[in-house]
Amino acid sequence: MNISPTADTKTESLSTRFFQSIKSNIQSFILLFAVLAIWLVFTFTTNGLYLDPENISNLFRQMCVTSFLAIGMVLVIVTGSIDLSVGKLSGFVSVVAAFLQYYVWFKLLPGQVLLPAILSIVGGLLVGLLAGVVQGYIIAYLGLPAFIVTLGGMWFFNGLLLLVTQGKTIPANQPVFSDIAQGYIPSIWGWVIFAIIVAGLLWNMFSGRRGKQKYGFTPRPLYLDLLTVGIVAVLVLAYVYSVNNYKGIPAPVLLLAIAAVLMAYAANNTRFGRYTYAIGGNREAARLSGVDIKGIVFRVFVLMGFLCGVAGIVLASYVGYGTIAAGTGYELDAIAAAILGGTSPLGGVGTIHGALIGALVLASLTTGLQMMNVQPAWQYVVKAVILITAVYADFYFKQHR
Amino acid sequence: MDNENVLEFKHVTKQFPGVVALNDVSFDVRHGEIHGICGENGAGKSTLMKVLSGVYPHGTYEGAVIYDGQELKLGQSSIREAVEKGIAIVYQELTLVPTRTVGENVYLGKEPVEHGGIIWDKVYADTQAILTKYQLDVDPRAVVNNLGVGKMQMVEIAKALSENAKILILDEPTSALSKEEVEKLVKILRGLKEHGITCIYISHRLEEFFLITDRVTVMRDGKIITTQPTKDVTQNDLVKYMVGREMKERFPKGKRKPGEVVFEVEGLEAADPNDPKRKVLNGVSFNVHKGEILGIAGLMGSGRTELVTTLFGEYGKVTHGKIRINGREITPKSAREAIEAGFSLVPEDRKKMGLVLIQTILRNISLPNLDQFSKFFSINSNAELQASLQQAKSLTIKTPSLDVLAETLSGGNQQKVVISKWLLSKPEVLIMDDPTRGIDVGAKFEIYKLMNDLAEKGVAIIMISSDLEEVLGMSDRVMVMCRGHSTITMPVAEADKERVMSLATGVAVA
Repeated sequence: MNISPTADTKTESLSTRFFQSIKSNIQSFILLFAVLAIWLVFTFTTNGLYLDPENISNLFRQMCVTSFLAIGMVLVIVTGSIDLSVGKLSGFVSVVAAFLQYYVWFKLLPGQVLLPAILSIVGGLLVGLLAGVVQGYIIAYLGLPAFIVTLGGMWFFNGLLLLVTQGKTIPANQPVFSDIAQGYIPSIWGWVIFAIIVAGLLWNMFSGRRGKQKYGFTPRPLYLDLLTVGIVAVLVLAYVYSVNNYKGIPAPVLLLAIAAVLMAYAANNTRFGRYTYAIGGNREAARLSGVDIKGIVFRVFVLMGFLCGVAGIVLASYVGYGTIAAGTGYELDAIAAAILGGTSPLGGVGTIHGALIGALVLASLTTGLQMMNVQPAWQYVVKAVILITAVYADFYFKQHR
Repeated sequence: MDNENVLEFKHVTKQFPGVVALNDVSFDVRHGEIHGICGENGAGKSTLMKVLSGVYPHGTYEGAVIYDGQELKLGQSSIREAVEKGIAIVYQELTLVPTRTVGENVYLGKEPVEHGGIIWDKVYADTQAILTKYQLDVDPRAVVNNLGVGKMQMVEIAKALSENAKILILDEPTSALSKEEVEKLVKILRGLKEHGITCIYISHRLEEFFLITDRVTVMRDGKIITTQPTKDVTQNDLVKYMVGREMKERFPKGKRKPGEVVFEVEGLEAADPNDPKRKVLNGVSFNVHKGEILGIAGLMGSGRTELVTTLFGEYGKVTHGKIRINGREITPKSAREAIEAGFSLVPEDRKKMGLVLIQTILRNISLPNLDQFSKFFSINSNAELQASLQQAKSLTIKTPSLDVLAETLSGGNQQKVVISKWLLSKPEVLIMDDPTRGIDVGAKFEIYKLMNDLAEKGVAIIMISSDLEEVLGMSDRVMVMCRGHSTITMPVAEADKERVMSLATGVAVA
């Protein structure tokens, strides 16, 4: 009996392999084409303004807050849960960060620059983490439905947010702190980062091949691996080149990239990630396989809380204020991005990169429609149609493959 | 038109891929009689009733069913049609909506309506009328949840009769009932006879046939063995008819030498975790030696599945008794603890409990074994693949690669994936709950060989099975369970089908 280690065997031609890899990632490819199509349409309707370096820079900067929430939401939905509190929680974190720097550290630590920023960030992150711990405990260990608990959480954090702001807007524009979402990486450092990414990709590729050989597996042909690395490198190159024509890589984009890589690694290469998918795929089978269901669900919500903390910090820095409306509706954007990116609402299926592309689709639509001066009312209608169509297309392809 | 027979099966054959579920079945049911059908699990009783009740519409089987003098030709919406023609069925599992009242359940889907609103007074009045007519002692306004299992069964019967049923099929109605409840049921069924309703009664409990039925039909391997007036047969006759056939070369013989005792259960008692007053295990004792296969026989509902899930820390609340592995006393409180103690469980239902169907074979095999491949946080995917691949190859899972989703495999191959994942965890005690259920003969043989190999390598195997021949063909010793307790453990040489079946049906006491 011959079972080859992976679907790729030596006998298959390059084109079959190419189509197989497309087939297995069909949702991601459809979405990437959707992004391209959206960009193309807006490039025409805005006479090329859409692809202007400034707009590309803003586009990616704009998707950051939602994206931090979306990459956490993927794992929440994968376990078969939902988190409705993430919008208001990140909003609450943003006003806490603003409050800390404007009312507390500014007075306690006069003349300092770096320390107040760090302390505000740490404070915000802790709030997110703590909220995740509490909600996760109630959901996982007390066994209440996540939908109800996080709906309560949403109201609760909204109440706290109003208490902290007292109905007023709090500035969050201290130096250093405002660089988190408004800063740019100088273009020379942009190229250094590009070089580091390419070197990392190559190192990852070669160490992967060595590992395979060590275990007696035949790695894919070298040119295929190089081609994959090449494609990614070219995409990164195009991006860095474009934003360097404006002010450089936006700091929050770099932060998001790091968070996404870490999350993707956790999802695929750690026990935590594997158990998360197994729970969503078949809770009973996972339990009988010795998976600590409660522990994993708890950790997923703690992680979600922490990412709300990050999103809240970025949000405060991006807006420059902590406002009473901060984070309103973000939970739905995050859920939409995850679902658009191929996360199954039934659980068990979903990817981090898919959620990022989903968030990019949403941001691309919003910016484009705004540039065309489309009324907000119609923006909602267009987004609704795209969301439902995309999910239906995915459903259709899965039924008819 | 034959006035005597309300129902006739003529040469009915029903095939599934790889299995002949009904093989040229012919028999008749007389007007007004209570007709019993018995047979081992998988003998074809349920398939037969599914043909009659329209689950398998006309055309999906060969042969003819003559009902009330005409051939029964049920079409697309066949289940509904069958009900309208007066064929009602009460399934083994209750099909009531637990949070609604008796009346709502009886009239579910056929509520009397006026101006778009349901006439509730009529619902309850009519329900009361049905209940009174058939002497069913239930309050129509009671919420189903608050009733006992016996009363729920009555509601099921009332629901079935509410559409002027001519034939009432009861599919193992007594497996969840107490003795008093069974006696009540017998009274009710006798009453139905007076109203001209014909009854088909399927059960495992042989003694009930003698209380209830006029005639009894025995099925085995999809065939009718005999139909006889109940007064002309004894329980022992029925047992003989049920197990009949001689053992063929279905089971590969291992040459194993069992070693010392690795696993012991002593006087185990456990309660239903959702209903602490209900005992699911009532005195179970046995031991298993290293390199031995212990077969556990017992009918559905005898507590055998409850036993293994309790041992695995995932079901019953242990109230009494001891569990020892290698002399060390344990009380597993979760599957994780059981696995760490050296158990593995190949569960009864591979799709619901054994596999994550939407994931690849690789991910399924490695799921309980990720600790082996992990260093700090990170999983060594090469080590994972290598070990899983080796396991998959040694079990000859038929697949081009391990990247294939588990849901696309055949039953036999799915079961091999489940077994692979547990072998990789190198268990000392391997519990297999109905390991060959629903898989074809060839794959069964491979699984038997595998079990022999494992036992030769020193694994202690506990095998539960509905298939008596499998138990006798594969085990070194046999334990029989009946109503939550273990009756006896005997060497396989002392066990024969009649003896085991008598113990399992409660005819004989050890």
